[in-house]
Amino acid sequence: MSTASLSTEQAPPISVPLRFFAVAPLFLILAALTGLMSDRLADAHTPALLAATHCITLGFIGMIMFGAMQQILPVVIGSPMPSSRLVAWSSLLPLIFGTLTLSGGFLLSNADLLHLASILLGLAFLIFIVASLVSLARAAARNATATAILLSVLALTAAVTLGIVLAQGYAGGWQLDYPKLAAAHISLALGGWVMLLIVGVSYQVVPMFQLTPSYPEWLSAGLAPALFAALLLNLASSYFDVLPLGFFAEGLFWLCAVCFALVTLKLQFQRRRRVTDATLNFFRLGMISLLCAASCAATALLAPAHEYFRQLSIVIFILGFALSVIHGMLYKIIPFLVWFHLFRGGVKKGVPNMKEVIPEPWMWRHLWLHIVTLLAAMLAFFWDAAAWLLILGLSLQGVLLSFAILTGIQVYRRTRQRLEKV
Amino acid sequence: MSELDARGLPPPEPFEKIMHALSSLPPDAALRVLIHREPYPLYAELQGMGYAWQTSALPDGHFAILIERAK
Repeated sequence: MSTASLSTEQAPPISVPLRFFAVAPLFLILAALTGLMSDRLADAHTPALLAATHCITLGFIGMIMFGAMQQILPVVIGSPMPSSRLVAWSSLLPLIFGTLTLSGGFLLSNADLLHLASILLGLAFLIFIVASLVSLARAAARNATATAILLSVLALTAAVTLGIVLAQGYAGGWQLDYPKLAAAHISLALGGWVMLLIVGVSYQVVPMFQLTPSYPEWLSAGLAPALFAALLLNLASSYFDVLPLGFFAEGLFWLCAVCFALVTLKLQFQRRRRVTDATLNFFRLGMISLLCAASCAATALLAPAHEYFRQLSIVIFILGFALSVIHGMLYKIIPFLVWFHLFRGGVKKGVPNMKEVIPEPWMWRHLWLHIVTLLAAMLAFFWDAAAWLLILGLSLQGVLLSFAILTGIQVYRRTRQRLEKV
Repeated sequence: MSELDARGLPPPEPFEKIMHALSSLPPDAALRVLIHREPYPLYAELQGMGYAWQTSALPDGHFAILIERAK
């Protein structure tokens, strides 16, 4: 195979991903403040906790993934999103205001806010999904990463549709089977969009940044389709009320997740450079959390009376798996972006190396804070006082991450000004 | 023809080494780069700097990129 030419501009301007990354940590602080309004953290269905959860999933995870996809698609599949600046602004603003109105709508039980949130979030995701599909359709690479990202975008489309139906249903007082729809919404959003995206990106990012061997062929070829099939089977079992099928589908999903976590940990153990940094440990924590989430889900599956294990599994999946991996990736991607955009166009003197962009001790502090926050979140199910530690931990993480990202932006601006003067 | 082995290096070392090698490459010479993954962001840079390139996938999963001045 040979490639002689590609599109003229592969990487989007640095401002595109960074504006998403700069906004996202504020939603961690907002989630913590919203959580303050909840009486008990063990019940995820209170309005305040629904609001806090969506601040994390939409405002933080969604926001980071919107920005990261703009940057990652050209690097891993050789195809940027079309009109990157336009897509960035037209998805960023509705995502910010959509998340704020949705959280406000939950908190105040306000139908108008929920209607408005549905429109804004529908718009943000529509733009993002269409731009992602265009990028995937134009991709030079047809590999396991492209397949996993495509499946994650399809799962996201279904999750958003169900989310809009649920929000409109709450607002309009529609007669719907809310528990069933909410379960499908959560399964597609977390098990589909978040899981499949992390899987697909890991195939590239783990060997590239952590210098591990590549993922084995049997895993990279089969994992994403198997996870997606498990999600579809789960939906079918829920729709047709076939319990054994649901049991099988959930079991298959978590078996795939466990395989992914174990193989990733094994690859990290085999890495060529034995240097340990905070980002590697964030990733390890993510994989260990995924194993814990799977254990909790298996317990809930085998002992349905202990419903809190299912909620615990979701909490560990979001805070332990998704957030850890995201933090780990951010602390690699931001220094890389700053370096790349300063260095590109030829060799220049005075460009800081990647380790000089965000101070490593800050990353380690964030890692320890994140571990304490995660433990507090798990304890909060059994001990109400731990909720305060969780709220404090989340807010401090938001502050720390904001500081780190703004430091990266400042290093970029200052170096750029200096290089322009030279 | 100069050759650069960038296999197994962490980002951004392959990109950095390729740029350094190109900065000292005579105008009519070619640079052959061996690398462990296809470096899509590099192509846009090469195009912007007036280079042409030819990428070949090797049987071991690595890539060989032949870079020379665009004619």
